Amino acid sequence: MRLSDVSFRYSRRSPWILRDVGLSLRPGSVVEVTGRNGAGKSTLLRLLAGVVPPSRGSVAERPPVVGYAPEVFPVDQPFTVSAYLAHMAGVRRVSPASGTALAERLNATHLLDRPLGDLSKGSAQKIGLIQSLLAPPGLLILDEPFAGLDEQTRDELPVIIGEIAARGGAVVVSDHQNQLRDFPGAGRWLVADGTVATWDGERSRRAVIEVTMDAAEADELEQKLRADGHTTRRIS
Amino acid sequence: MTFALTRFKLAAYARSHRLLQPLLVLFTMMLIFYSTVVPDGKQLASYADSAGLLIVVFAWAARGLLDTEPAAQRVVSTTAAGGPGREVRAGLLAALAVNAGLAAIAVALPLLHGFAVLPSSGDLARGVVLHLLGLSAGTALGALTSRPILSSPAASMLTLFGGYLGLLLLSLTPAAGFAVPIMPWMRAANAGTLDAVLLPVTAATLFWAAAGTLAYARLRRTRP
Repeated sequence: MRLSDVSFRYSRRSPWILRDVGLSLRPGSVVEVTGRNGAGKSTLLRLLAGVVPPSRGSVAERPPVVGYAPEVFPVDQPFTVSAYLAHMAGVRRVSPASGTALAERLNATHLLDRPLGDLSKGSAQKIGLIQSLLAPPGLLILDEPFAGLDEQTRDELPVIIGEIAARGGAVVVSDHQNQLRDFPGAGRWLVADGTVATWDGERSRRAVIEVTMDAAEADELEQKLRADGHTTRRIS
Repeated sequence: MTFALTRFKLAAYARSHRLLQPLLVLFTMMLIFYSTVVPDGKQLASYADSAGLLIVVFAWAARGLLDTEPAAQRVVSTTAAGGPGREVRAGLLAALAVNAGLAAIAVALPLLHGFAVLPSSGDLARGVVLHLLGLSAGTALGALTSRPILSSPAASMLTLFGGYLGLLLLSLTPAAGFAVPIMPWMRAANAGTLDAVLLPVTAATLFWAAAGTLAYARLRRTRP
């Protein structure tokens, strides 16, 4: 995916928010977007997601399936979590079961029958995350996803990001808290003064392997792998 | 994807109870229109008045529906549906569906109570056409005053009711050709000459409704 000479402003009379931005996002890449408040990070994410078109320049080769989790998930909606996820699954033409599976993975099954309006900030963020993952995204955009998340989901999110990247999806994360600082191969984009400065990560190729073994030895292997800097996830 | 998103918007609208407001106004207007029984031969004139006056109700319902989703959800819906065009189309389809329901009530209610004698099938068809014209103009006006376009609720309501009154007044003047011809269709129906003007009235109304809808879609490009 490429952004070529992209400039953006909301109307002809409003100031430019981004000017002549050129970026490329390769399949499998993970990028952390930083910048002060109001620098234009969210606008950049919306341009990447295709929510707004550039005022000048072009965006090319955007993957067809885009997942987007907003900075603040909108809980002011008259649905239970499960009804909301079922609707979003319908819009994405995937089975409603994908929402349930993601809820299980992110320890959110107890939220499924709750009205969206009753969710805490962290729980709402989780639902925002789940809806963005309902269909395997070719481009996943997460706007401040770590804010308010519980520790378990905080640990799980980099694993999910790694899996999407391993499948060839690109992931762009706006992150004040710099939670992806240790993520192997993650690039950095700094949004400031209407431009975007980039630092490429190591871009190491990532792979997911599944190991079947004696349950009694699983803890030990998991600890070993983690000590070596690998990300692990126990399936059963 | 568009239809699934339309269903989502309709479900959110129904559950938010926002439909109650235009529905109550619709029934109040119906009560006023048909408080005295419409004599035989005046059914079409009655339908014409109903279609013209209900434009503001159609606009209110469309605005309410398009305002139901929070701004962040519209962005989520846009990415889920695969583009802003689909999100805009789904919203307009949902608004048209709601207004079609309201228009159906407005057409059917006087058949049950209001008309002394049931209208001819021709007049019934003309009544349906006029209500379709009314709902197309009302949906466009409602879309243009919805939150993504006018974020201030006060400005939005003022523009909606002011816009409707402006349309009514403009259609009274010689400049009626440059507006939705509400008064001309009411007058023609009352005079029994609707058939002579139905084609230009339909063309003009659909033109302005399409222009308003296109302007809405265009403005939404930078107002997700």
